Amino acid sequence: MTMLRVRDATVRFGGIVALDGISLDLNRGEILGLIGPNGAGKTTLFNCISGVIRPDHGSILFETNDLTYAPPHERARLGIARTFQNLQLWGSMTVEENLMVPMDALGRRNTFSDALYLPFSAYAERASSERARAILHVLDLGRYARTPAGDLPAGIQRRVEIARALAMRPRLLLLDEPAAGLDAQETAHLADLLHAVRERFHVSMLLVDHDMSLVMRVCDFVYVLDFGKLLAHGRPAAIRDDPKVIAAYLGEESKKPAGDVATVATPREGPPLLEVDRLAAGYGGLEVIRDVTLSVRPGEVVACIGANGAGKTTTLRAISGMIHARGGKVTFAGKDVTGSSAERITKLGLVHIPEGRGLFPTISVEDTLRLVSNTAGHEVDPAPAFDLFPKLRQRRRQLVGTLSGGEQQMVALARAILSQPRLVMIDEMSQGLAPTVVRQLFDIVRVFREQGIAVLLVEQFVESALDVADRAYVFEHGTIALSGPAVELRNDRKLVTGSYLGTAVDATAIAANGNGHHIDPALMEILSVRVPAKVKRALEERAENEGRPAGAVVVELLGKVDDQ
Amino acid sequence: MGAFAAYTIIGLGLGGIFSLAALGIVLIYRTTGVLNFAHGAMGMFSTFVAWQVFYGWSHPFWPTWLSTLLAVLAGLIFAAIMGLTLEFAVFRWVRTREPVVKAVITIGVLLALQSAASLIWKNNQYHLPIYLAPQQATFQLAGVPIGANYIVIVVMALGLAFGLGAFLRYTSFGRAMRAVSDSPTSASLWGVPVNKVSAVSWMLGSLVAALAGILITPFINFDTTSLTLLIIDALAAALIGGLVSLPLTVLGGFVLGLLETYPTIWIQSLGFPRLVALLVIIAVLIVRNPRGFAVVAK
Amino acid sequence: MFRVLAALVAFTVLARIPVGFDVGFKFDAALAVIWAFGLLSLVLLTGYVGQISLCQATFAGVGAYTAGLMVAGFHADYLVAVVAGVAAAFVLGVIVGIPALRLRGITLAIVTLGIALVFDRYVFQDHAFEWFTGGTAGWRVDQATMFGLQMDSSKHLMAAYIVLLALFCVVALLMVNLHDSGAGRRLRAIRDSELAAATMGVNLTRYKLLAFGMSAAIAGLGGSFYPLVAGSVSPQPFWLFTSLQFAAIAVLMGVRYVPAAALGGVFMAVVPDVLTRFGHGTFMGRAYDISYDWFQIAVGVLLIVQLIALPDGVWGDLRARALHAWSAAGALGGRKVKVA
Repeated sequence: MTMLRVRDATVRFGGIVALDGISLDLNRGEILGLIGPNGAGKTTLFNCISGVIRPDHGSILFETNDLTYAPPHERARLGIARTFQNLQLWGSMTVEENLMVPMDALGRRNTFSDALYLPFSAYAERASSERARAILHVLDLGRYARTPAGDLPAGIQRRVEIARALAMRPRLLLLDEPAAGLDAQETAHLADLLHAVRERFHVSMLLVDHDMSLVMRVCDFVYVLDFGKLLAHGRPAAIRDDPKVIAAYLGEESKKPAGDVATVATPREGPPLLEVDRLAAGYGGLEVIRDVTLSVRPGEVVACIGANGAGKTTTLRAISGMIHARGGKVTFAGKDVTGSSAERITKLGLVHIPEGRGLFPTISVEDTLRLVSNTAGHEVDPAPAFDLFPKLRQRRRQLVGTLSGGEQQMVALARAILSQPRLVMIDEMSQGLAPTVVRQLFDIVRVFREQGIAVLLVEQFVESALDVADRAYVFEHGTIALSGPAVELRNDRKLVTGSYLGTAVDATAIAANGNGHHIDPALMEILSVRVPAKVKRALEERAENEGRPAGAVVVELLGKVDDQ
Repeated sequence: MGAFAAYTIIGLGLGGIFSLAALGIVLIYRTTGVLNFAHGAMGMFSTFVAWQVFYGWSHPFWPTWLSTLLAVLAGLIFAAIMGLTLEFAVFRWVRTREPVVKAVITIGVLLALQSAASLIWKNNQYHLPIYLAPQQATFQLAGVPIGANYIVIVVMALGLAFGLGAFLRYTSFGRAMRAVSDSPTSASLWGVPVNKVSAVSWMLGSLVAALAGILITPFINFDTTSLTLLIIDALAAALIGGLVSLPLTVLGGFVLGLLETYPTIWIQSLGFPRLVALLVIIAVLIVRNPRGFAVVAK
Repeated sequence: MFRVLAALVAFTVLARIPVGFDVGFKFDAALAVIWAFGLLSLVLLTGYVGQISLCQATFAGVGAYTAGLMVAGFHADYLVAVVAGVAAAFVLGVIVGIPALRLRGITLAIVTLGIALVFDRYVFQDHAFEWFTGGTAGWRVDQATMFGLQMDSSKHLMAAYIVLLALFCVVALLMVNLHDSGAGRRLRAIRDSELAAATMGVNLTRYKLLAFGMSAAIAGLGGSFYPLVAGSVSPQPFWLFTSLQFAAIAVLMGVRYVPAAALGGVFMAVVPDVLTRFGHGTFMGRAYDISYDWFQIAVGVLLIVQLIALPDGVWGDLRARALHAWSAAGALGGRKVKVA
């Protein structure tokens, strides 16, 4: 039976049509995939369904309710929960508190009884806290319960978002790029988790992600959006082979044999361009990297790989002067640049494209590229960059903040081309981007190589990174665990599937013990129903009499409710 | 009809004052990301310095034009130094903090400058304006006489709006200023000299504030609070321009000036026009944000 | 339970402090609590819910004028006057909250500043509102009764102070309870991310309006005692610069912490009085005269220094240090100490 029915949804922002008459059906218990290039309108559709924006036209029906004009909190009450692509946890509150908000927002407590701390409120308080702990325990986040959510690394925050959404006991879960920034193994565990959640909690899901391995693995059905229009819909396997989808989004799979793409074994000689010696750095009281020693020779492409939180990003930041090194030495182009300002290091010919691309949202594309004059020392004509990225020429007057993620990354790379540096450091180039765009971007890295510009790459897509790189460093626990020619590392299957990297400092806990999807049925009970003590007791008694876990009883009872 | 035209002229003059004051706010906001509540106080302090030179320290036998020139120069030089000092001593250290924190800091600057001024110059009213154009010179427009100083203000406001707009849009230094405002961290990765750029931004902003203050003296009760409080009308005008657009800010200033003048035709009250203006601003802001969910708008 | 105890101890200690001082200081003590209510209202609105307001003194002023009107105009018992003052402030707060549903951050700051200006220059001073403000002379409240007892403002300053202090301790206790409760979490969720709060089931309209209303009511509660303490109401204590000072001092002391409001209230009431009373004389043969202006300069400069050096405010910083020392001591003693 249809749970969610979107009919002819249309959203316009100024002159731009973000959604153009989209219709979509989601059946109860289904996991529906939503894919498409950046800027295709996926997040806009999410916003429509969760009530953050109102469609200019069309309707949204959830079960028997017309949601088109309902405010977001009412939709939450009906059981629609969501996660956010750009994390929206309540940063100053602890993880436990983050889970408690949706729980008691749905309850019947009021401000005045809470302020007076009446017994009723105190009871509800303990109940929510218990339930929050149970959910955290199940998702293996228990040890973070008392940490302010804002202090956690992004990978963990993403999982707390899922936990928070589950705390609402949703019937429909909207997941916006849950796999962004996760490595191969973490993604695999996420897939298991989503399946488990669906089975155990009877939650239907709508999933947006660029990671096709995740989409193919978990989704029952896939919708493809392009330019705000519905391009195709069907079973995952059919979508994968749909020529329209391949052309617009997936791109041709370039199955070249390993070693063919990368220029193997032309070891670049000469003195290293960048030499990092026993570098240490961190934030506040936390030391994130130590004893990092690496080098990049002129014209060489070097990849840094490793799990989330292994210290790759921090290393790049310490090299470019974004943060101060706490120990060790950085030499660039023969000069000691340890402790120099980012401005000075940039002027020596080192371009650092940070995570999030480091652009200026309120400046137009053309003006952004003209900013290169600050390093070049003279006015710069952006024309050569437009030749390489014709799409940017069309959008030259548009503000960078209004571009899609892929286009923004093009602006960042175009800037690197224009300033003709000696070394470009790119952090998470492909994060959150469509497969076709990712492929184009890796082609640009090859252009850098042809032009003799060295590249230091931090990348989650290990395979693509190793395809283009000459050499690679593997980060683990804030230091370098392994290094070698890319060809050799590519043949190390353990490395590519990510299992090698499973033990990094804050590598997600699911990865750490691999049992994230084993959900204890007893905890299940606490998760799925908020039961008064009396009922709970009765359930436990019945479970004991029948000699099976309480969770199983609940599942059975819930099944009956569903049938009615 | 004659009265209406006269009120229009007064309103436009007032609008010119608001525009001038608002331009500096928008300039500082666009180039440093700081919403400067102290803008009025900064202008006030520089204006008092000019006033001090003109009435306090000028020799009685100097020709008026010389005293005026010296006073204006002194005010502007002081303003430049004050802008630089504030950047070095205060705003350099909070560059990466949230906009609201920076705005609260400017409230601290406002309170300090305001009290320092009333300590030095007391809370008297100074009806001793500095005229840039001859005081009595008037022009006839459609039979209504217009004071030359009004015209100076209106021309200055328009000139500054388009001049500053062009500077930010077309020069490489202007682009660098906008980049620093969007993200100082990213700007330094692009090789933009962040410290230099924000020092210049503050100096320029402070200069515009001083210029506005000096130009305004002939038209308002000139004491330490009224110039400081001008900030509220100026901020309102800046809001009409979305805190970004310089021409729209000037337009907003004129609209606000007229809005605060016309009601006085019917109602003798100092405060009522303010209420009208406030309601209009709130209406404009809500219309600008029609989707209703404040969080979606950046 | 610990909280109730702490509030009781604070009340008992603070209630005795002004005993033995002259009338001027007793006045300061009562005024300190009134201002502390104003700062407490910002702890709720800005500290908990993240909404900016630069018109808290306006709310206090509306409370003061309403109470004055009730007593001088309708000869009501002071208790009734206080209830009316709080109710009026609450209503105004909800009205101010309506634009806040659409506006955030600095835009909201500007609009509330505009509201403060309109009240400062128009409502509190214009002929059109003489029925409310009692004209230029303001309301005189010499013959108030409270619980049926005669309250002569000059003689019963101490009584007014005790009542104010007791109310403050109760409200402060409720605020602390609220912070860690479900409703408090919902309010803080709005502060951290409105988007997430709305999609996780928090009714933004209701909670934002409630927050503005409650905050205004707290400010109005303090303000409604002003006529009793000062004997009359005038626009000057509730003008725009008081609103700005509220914002500045609340942030300076630590806008997220309830005790910081009390600290700020004392700072706001006592320091200027001490300056004007003892701020002149001779030192090393030179005459000096420290006026009220120096207080405001100090507030401005301290605010700037604090925001650069101690982002969490004076109280927040002290608290962090104390907790740090406590956990260090705990570690020495070999047991685990929970630092919340």
